Amino acid sequence: MAKVTPEDLEALVQLFDASDWNELRLVLGETELFLSKDPGAAPIAAPAVRAAVAAAAAPAPVPAPPPSPPRGDAVPPGWVVVRAPNLGTFYRSPKPGAPPYVEIGQAVTAEAEICLIEVMKLFTSVRAGVAGTLRRICAADGDLVEFEQTLFLIEPNG
Amino acid sequence: MADATLKRLLVANRGEIALRVIRAARDLGIETVLAASAADRDSLPAREATRTVVIGPGPARASYLDAKLILHAAVATGCDSLHPGYGFLSERAELAALCDENDVIFVGPTAAQIQRVGDKISARAVARAAGVPMVSGSEKVASTEDALRIAGEIGYPVITKASAGGGGRGMLVSHDAEALAAGFERASNEAREAFGDGTLFLERYVEHARHIEVQVVGDGAGMVLHFGERDCSIQRRYQKMVEEAPADILPVAVRARLHVAAVELLASIAYRNAGTVEFLYDVDRQEFSFMEVNARIQVEHPVSEAITGTDLIRTQLLVASGRGLAMTQDAIVPRGHAIEMRVIAEDPDGDFAPSPGRITRWDAPAGEGVRVDTAMQTGTLVPPFYDSMIAKLIVHAADRDAAVARLVAALDGFAVEGIATNLPLLRFIAAHPDFIANRFDTRWLERTLLPAWRARQESR
Repeated sequence: MAKVTPEDLEALVQLFDASDWNELRLVLGETELFLSKDPGAAPIAAPAVRAAVAAAAAPAPVPAPPPSPPRGDAVPPGWVVVRAPNLGTFYRSPKPGAPPYVEIGQAVTAEAEICLIEVMKLFTSVRAGVAGTLRRICAADGDLVEFEQTLFLIEPNG
Repeated sequence: MADATLKRLLVANRGEIALRVIRAARDLGIETVLAASAADRDSLPAREATRTVVIGPGPARASYLDAKLILHAAVATGCDSLHPGYGFLSERAELAALCDENDVIFVGPTAAQIQRVGDKISARAVARAAGVPMVSGSEKVASTEDALRIAGEIGYPVITKASAGGGGRGMLVSHDAEALAAGFERASNEAREAFGDGTLFLERYVEHARHIEVQVVGDGAGMVLHFGERDCSIQRRYQKMVEEAPADILPVAVRARLHVAAVELLASIAYRNAGTVEFLYDVDRQEFSFMEVNARIQVEHPVSEAITGTDLIRTQLLVASGRGLAMTQDAIVPRGHAIEMRVIAEDPDGDFAPSPGRITRWDAPAGEGVRVDTAMQTGTLVPPFYDSMIAKLIVHAADRDAAVARLVAALDGFAVEGIATNLPLLRFIAAHPDFIANRFDTRWLERTLLPAWRARQESR
């Protein structure tokens, strides 16, 4: 099975949005995708799938909203939210004193590393998940961020 | 009363025990940080904690079972202490060790103590060294003569078991020497045919067993106090459903020996914090033998609190704060009788299948001698990821009969809608003549009560 690209995911989401389906579960090799129009249904119906998506740090185009609304300002239509895959300390730079991975207005690729989340000295990088322009940074360097907390907003290309 | 040491406590659990710990801490002027999963971010404990941080998604392995995630939350939110509750990571030495490494006080035993009594074989060695009675028998027997001699020493009834395997082959229960002499050769041959080895073990056979456990708290410096015993014999698949204190069936002298055994076992390792020593009690022989140690606070601690008037969670927090045990054994005088029933979100008419979902009505009983420990309310969603216990109903009265009467009334006043619960089964137990007469053992629920329950369903 060919690798699923963020563009594929986006196309699927658009198809799903336009359809009258309530739920969609897709398994392609090791990739699993779960889409639902019921905000309460997703975590209960397919917890493993949601967890897998979060762990892969590519949650961008998947509309799996948390039980409560996202923090901060409303997200402009079309922009993608990058969320924390788990609780941890948020770092914008690869090491102390180094320049940040990304700045506002910068173009990013889907694979671009944009921050680190640290749990007890273990650092995990978070990727943009979608190609576009970084529009907002929603946490400060060194902040404790919680699971699913909004970290960045990205405006996807074209 | 402000606390001298503990300022901010991380609560590494969920549901009723998280709420119980949050409230006990609040009474002592200790702030709380609840480390919750995303499924619990709007729970009652999340609302009552000073602060709640969402550490991970609903499934426990990515949230409540991730020790590093929890320690990171504790350190990053400035907690000086951590309470693990029961279940999840409460008996993992790893969590206690991680707390030590990060200067966070673990409200529980030391990591070394968890290792020593948490492992069954190691715990048995500790118990044996402390002179605690163990199950007798398990000697190899080669002949009928051997068997008769050892059985004479152990006392009847006895059971033979094949040395080389299980499945009932070679098993023989003998109530006297005549039966043992008549059946031994046949049992040995049976084992030889099944496993190629006719060697048998001979053990004492416990026909009527009670699960009796002793609640203790140690100060970590060698002082261990007990808070009486509990009878937890009503179990389904080794899961306790009903717990009582005290164990009314114990003769006074046996009860005293039981308490001493539990205290000496844990004093021998200078045990710190709350713990329980579990025993198997042979009703016919009036003898107890060691089963295991639970190195944590237990689900059923409220029945001991009811009869001793001691808040055990508060006591845990005071011991953890270095204040020790501000009481003596003489001051702990059990009064009355307490019974706890576990309310579980499962369908007793549907093979006990878990029934998560939205609670549309929650009316819990209240009143004199009635306590309900729960994190549920009308509108609460019971998530599918965790243990399905949703409440503990605890009643306390002057004696067992009065407690049973209070239990029946409280159960009648307990109404839960929207999800299936075991409340109808609990009412059936409370009304059963064997339960009322305190005439049951660890096999009673599965052998007597559940068949009667099913027959009642079919006849309706």
